[in-house]
Order: sequence, then C-alpha cells, then structure tokens
Amino acid sequence: MDNIENQIFSSYERNPILYDEIYKKKGQIKKVYKKLFELYGKHSIQDYVNLNAKAKSSFFNQGITFQVYNDKDTQEKIFPFDLFPRIIAPDEWEIIEKGAIQRSKALNLFLWDIYHDKNIIREGIVPMELISTSENYLDQMVGIDPPGGIYNHISGTDIIKHNDGKYYVLEDNIRCPSGVSYVICNRTALKRALFGVFNHYKTYSVTNYAENLLDLLETTKPKGVDVPVSVVITPGMFNSAFYEHSYLAKTMGVELVEGRDLFVENDFVYMKTIKGPIKVDIIYRRIDDQFIDPLEFKPDSTLGVPGLFAAYKKGNVTLANAPGTGVADDKAVYTYMPQIIKYYLNEEPILNNVHTYHCSRPDELKYVLEHIHELVIKPVDEAGGYGISIGNRLTKAEIETVKKQITESPRKYVAQPIMSLSVHPTYIDESESFEQRHVDLRTFTILGKDKEFVLKGGLTRVALQKGNLIVNSSQGGGSKDTWVLKG
Amino acid sequence: MLARVANNLFWMGRYIERSEHIARYLNVNYFSSLDAPNAKSQDRQFVLRSMLFLVGEPDVDENVILKEQEVLFKIGLDTESPFSIINNVKYARENANSARDLISTELYESINKFYHFVLNYPSDIFLKNGLHDFTSNVAEMTAILRGKIRGTLLHDSVYAIIMMGVNIERANQIIRIINTKYNDALKAQGSYGDKFGNSFEWTTLLKCAESYDMMRRFYKKTPTSISTLEFLILNPNCPRSIMNSLNQVYKNIKILDPSMAYNKKSTAFLIGKVRAEYQYKYIEEIEENIQIFIEDILNSLNEISLKMEKEFFNY
Repeated sequence: MDNIENQIFSSYERNPILYDEIYKKKGQIKKVYKKLFELYGKHSIQDYVNLNAKAKSSFFNQGITFQVYNDKDTQEKIFPFDLFPRIIAPDEWEIIEKGAIQRSKALNLFLWDIYHDKNIIREGIVPMELISTSENYLDQMVGIDPPGGIYNHISGTDIIKHNDGKYYVLEDNIRCPSGVSYVICNRTALKRALFGVFNHYKTYSVTNYAENLLDLLETTKPKGVDVPVSVVITPGMFNSAFYEHSYLAKTMGVELVEGRDLFVENDFVYMKTIKGPIKVDIIYRRIDDQFIDPLEFKPDSTLGVPGLFAAYKKGNVTLANAPGTGVADDKAVYTYMPQIIKYYLNEEPILNNVHTYHCSRPDELKYVLEHIHELVIKPVDEAGGYGISIGNRLTKAEIETVKKQITESPRKYVAQPIMSLSVHPTYIDESESFEQRHVDLRTFTILGKDKEFVLKGGLTRVALQKGNLIVNSSQGGGSKDTWVLKG
Repeated sequence: MLARVANNLFWMGRYIERSEHIARYLNVNYFSSLDAPNAKSQDRQFVLRSMLFLVGEPDVDENVILKEQEVLFKIGLDTESPFSIINNVKYARENANSARDLISTELYESINKFYHFVLNYPSDIFLKNGLHDFTSNVAEMTAILRGKIRGTLLHDSVYAIIMMGVNIERANQIIRIINTKYNDALKAQGSYGDKFGNSFEWTTLLKCAESYDMMRRFYKKTPTSISTLEFLILNPNCPRSIMNSLNQVYKNIKILDPSMAYNKKSTAFLIGKVRAEYQYKYIEEIEENIQIFIEDILNSLNEISLKMEKEFFNY
C-alpha cells in the first residue's frame, strides 16, 4: 500500500537517524498522513511547481510580505510557504494544548509573585539572581496589580519533537510573540491552492483566534468600565510585523493606533478620532516595554505615549501583555520551569523541558563530565550564545579543556542534552522535489480572567537549508500550514 | 475612526482617482493627436506640452524642444517625478497600508495588485509600444478599485471619507483637464481654419473625461465649446461633471456629519454653499469668463479640502 506509485516522493531520502514526522521507523507512512500522501501522489512534479507559484502569488497579492532594503529600492519578499501541511493527531494535540495552558498559567502566577511577595524566592525554590540580574525585571512594576490579575495574556510557546518522539518546550515567548497571522494566511493559501485535500480530513479552523483574543482581553478590562474600548498599538507600517498588527486589529474590529494617535489626560488614555477624543480601556501593545512611555522608560522613544505608564499604574487602562513580563522568558527562568509549575500549580509538567544539569550539584556534575560528548555546555551568566560548547562537535583536546573549566568553577556552568528537531517532507524549489527539513511548532495561548484559549493549530516553522536547525524567518526559515485533527 | 487614518483614506481616494485621470489624459491626447485634423493638434511639441501642463509643469521654456520619450517616462513611470502615475499609485497603496485594518481584504488586494502591475511594468516596453496597454490598464484597474470601494466596504464614515477624496479629486482633475484643453483650443485657433467654438480639442476633452459617447447621445450634435462645457460642468447626470462630483461630496459629508443644524463653520455647510452656487447657473455666465470660473472652482475645492482637514483630520 505504501509502495504505490508516488511520483513526487520517488526521490525522497530518509535519514534514519532523524525523526521523520510522516514516516514510521520502518518506512511505512503514519496513519494520519496516509490519505494526504496518496492525494499528493496524484500530482506530477509539474503540477506541484505550478501550484507552488500560485500559492506564492496569493501571498504576494494579499500583501503578506516583508521588506528587504538595499541601496535604491525597497524590495518586497514573501515568507517561504510550503504546500505540504503538517498534521497533528488529536491525542498529541491534547498534550500540547494542556501543556501550553499549564505553562502560561504557571508563568502568570510566577510573575505575580515576583512583582509582589516573592514567596518562591524566599522559600528557596529559585535563586534571587533570577530577577536581580535580569534586564527585563521592571522595578516600576513592583506592587502593581494588573487588571484581571493577568500579566501574560498572550504566550507563544516554541515546541519541538525530539528524536525520542516526545515534545519538548524550547522557549516561552511572553513579550510580544508574533506569527499568528501567518498561521491563518498559510491556511488561506493552502485552501486556495489545494482545496480538494480538505475534504478528506476533519481539521480545526484557525480563523477564530481574533474573536477569542478580543473576548479574553475584555475579561481583563479595568475596574469600573462597562463596555471597554480596545485598540492595537503598532510601531507603524514600517515594522516588519505590521501586517500582523493590522490583521489583528481588523479581525477584532478595533482601531489600529500608533503612539501619536493616543494621549493621556488625568491618567486616562484617549485616542484622537474624527469625532474628537475617545477613551481607550484596553491596549494590545506590539511595542516593547522600553518604548511604551518616554516619561517612564526610554526618554527618546517616539513610538509610545507619554503618561501611559502612570495611567496603567492607576488601573485605568489594561496593557497586554503587562510591562515586565519579559523577565519570565529569560533563559535562566526556563531552566526552573518544572519547579515553577510544581510550586504554583502542584502539578507535574505536561510538556517536557529540555533537562538542565546544574554543575553546581555534585551528582549532576559527575554526569556532565561523563557524558560531555552528548551535551551542550552553557555558561549561566553569558547571553547571546557566547561560550556555548556543543559536545559532539568538540575535539578530544577541546573536551579536556571544557572539562577542566567546569571542574574549576562548576557554579558557572549548566548542561543540556543536544536536541534534534524532527524533520518533515518539504518541497524544495532548487531540486524540485521533497526533502527532509527540520521543523518546530509555535503555539498561541491566550489567558483571560478565569478563561483560557489555545489556537488549534500553530506556526510550523521550517529550516529551509539542509541540516540547519534554525527556523527563524530572519535566517531563511519558511513555514507550513498546521492541521490539528478533530478527534 | 482615527483622525490620522481618516486623512490617509481621504488621500488614498484622491491618489487613485488622480492616477486614472493622468493615465487617460496621456492615452487620449497621444492617440487622438496622431491623426488630428489640423497641423497644430498633430504637433508633437503641442501635445507633450499639454501633458506637462496637466500634471502641473507648464513652465517649460517655449524654446526647449521636448523629447517624447522623456516626457512620457516622466509622467508615467519615473519614480523621481512627484506627479508620475507610478508615484500616485505608490502613495495610494501606502495610504491603504496604514488603514489596512479598516478596508476590506478585497479592496486591499486590488490596490496591491494595481501597485505591483505599475511597479513591474517594464519602462522600455512602455516607451516602445506599451503606452496604450499601460494607460488603459491603469484606467481599468482604477475602475475595479471604485467597484471594490462601493461593493465591499460598509457605507459608513470610512466609505464617506474615501468617496469624498475620490470626488474632490475628480472635480479637481476635470477642471484641470478643462483648463488644459481650453488653453489648447485657444492655441490651436487659426491653424488651418480651426475655430475656437468647434475646435477638435473639445472632442478630445470629452474623451479625456470618458464622456464623449454620452455627450453625443445627449446633444446629438458635434461638440462645441458651449455644449461641452455645459455637459462637463453643469449636467448633474454626467458622472464626470463638476456638478455630479459636488453632489457626491455633499452626499458623503452628510454621512460624516448628519446634523441638519445651521452651522456656518462646518464643512457640510461650505460644501452645500458651493454646490448651490453651481446648481443654478447658466453656462453662458461661465463662458463669459472661463478663466475666472476655473480659478474660482479650484479655490472652492481647495477651501473644502482645508476645512475638512481642520474639522476631521486635525491631530
């Protein structure tokens, strides 16, 4: 059955070391992908080339582009999009969804705690340095109660599947996570190009994101407001994520504003409209903390609104996400996520953290020294990827040097297993065939007051260069439509 | 609606409309001059100067010999010249970009397609044999845009603002085209027995305003100066007439400002006043001194624009 004539997969090479999302170990197609494999097999490569071109022009005409600047003209490019979707089976999705909610809730409680009583630190679960050395910890937020008790309204969780077939979280993004508009655009583009395939699968829709976002944001409205007025604030049309900002404003049916459209009077925020000023209650901000209010943060910021933070302090306006959430997506906080979840929710983590060995603990140090060739060694206090050693790429001499460094000052190092991202068949323009490429998944979770929502789908990012593990769009990453199947 | 965004939408409407008029003017003038009945109207220099006059660059030294390709490029695809079609379309799209959350996906996609069409039009082909193709496509695409504006937007303040932009610009362009052709008719006088009153330029003028066929249907006669001006200025049923534009502007300001209160300071009041003035005018009164009339109407349109800015866009 699996050996049916399948032109477009005829030259597909499977590397047995990698975890392939659509093939089982022994080379059969996984159940959820069978039908899709069959349907795509009916196309010739030439069909596929044409469809690919069509999908591209669909993005282009929708204006879903980013700009590349060179000397003379600005050029617009589209984000590479792959026509072969990624499918997530219902049982797998259940784990992801529950895990994402669990993490978001735990992070929210953690943020409340570190900006109020700091119990988690007093009880010695996490060290004081976690916040005292963090650039993203805002002293201005200490003691402030965000409306509805929510800090991280929107979280983007980056998840990978390791070659053991399990999902691991790599990162929690709770500042201004972006990418959700591409989830929806990818779906639109795939529908336009290959509508027939949707008849054979029961896939969850992804277009309900905006209505849920508005709904949940409104549960965190400031006290005393009956019908809240919400807006999305953007740095402006030259921001690379501007399409997403306008998309969200449009689909929520709210105004898309820039800093210059707002002003603060008597600690209330207003927008300037054709009918005069209108009070604003909820601001979904896509501007970083440092730029939101020149009176409180970066004084030369022209993107923000003078007096906004004072209005926030008074509880007159909701900011989503709250200022100061960045402290919780630091790398250092990540390593404590299992403890954080346990402490606040009294639950075991549903999604795996990549295990972290603290060399300061003698038994873990022993393990690290013995398994250095299969670990990534990271200095605790360096940022930006400095000082990282990847075990399997070191020479014998280098391993000895690293061992020596760790033994001399074990407190300075942590170690993590080398993670291998799963691969997915991806159509490659240059070779006009399908090849294995590494993928990850970003999910989008929204927290409201006593309510939460996870978008059933997500952004599957693809590292388009062979063997590359970096999926970021700035580094030549593409994306795929992601189907979550109904159970 | 945000005041800043309203301003952008207003200008989006204006730039869309402007690009159409310039495109049609290039097309009609160039092609009708090729076999015009008199020497003057056939003269390349005469036609090129007329084109530059329309886009607001009339001060080209009379002694300079204009090069056809340079002029066409400058008005069509030159990104360095502020009045070129390509720049108008660029500005229209930029304005649409900033209001993307307020307009329909359908309208935005059409503007975007329009932009990419103009942006990617090869200038060598444009100059070699693409003038007709390019300009008629531009006119066609603006018609699609107007259809999308009317057919896919909610007829609320967003729509009203865009339509005010479109109609104020239309009145502006029609009056500029009248002015240009009026000047041409004056200049073409006397060259091979052509009289001002029934100059060939009046036919060209009507074609530039896409009103020639309907004018023939209405008057059943060859266009003369008086019938042409009457049709294009005062006939409220001619969709390109000044009168119709003023009526549309009035209709749309009422969506923005539905109050019927007597308020001398409002834009609605001013528009009503200007409109009333032309509603009951004889063409003979206008024809007496057409130059003054043209100046007057341009001033009035400008005043309306300024008033709108003050009332709605001031931020």
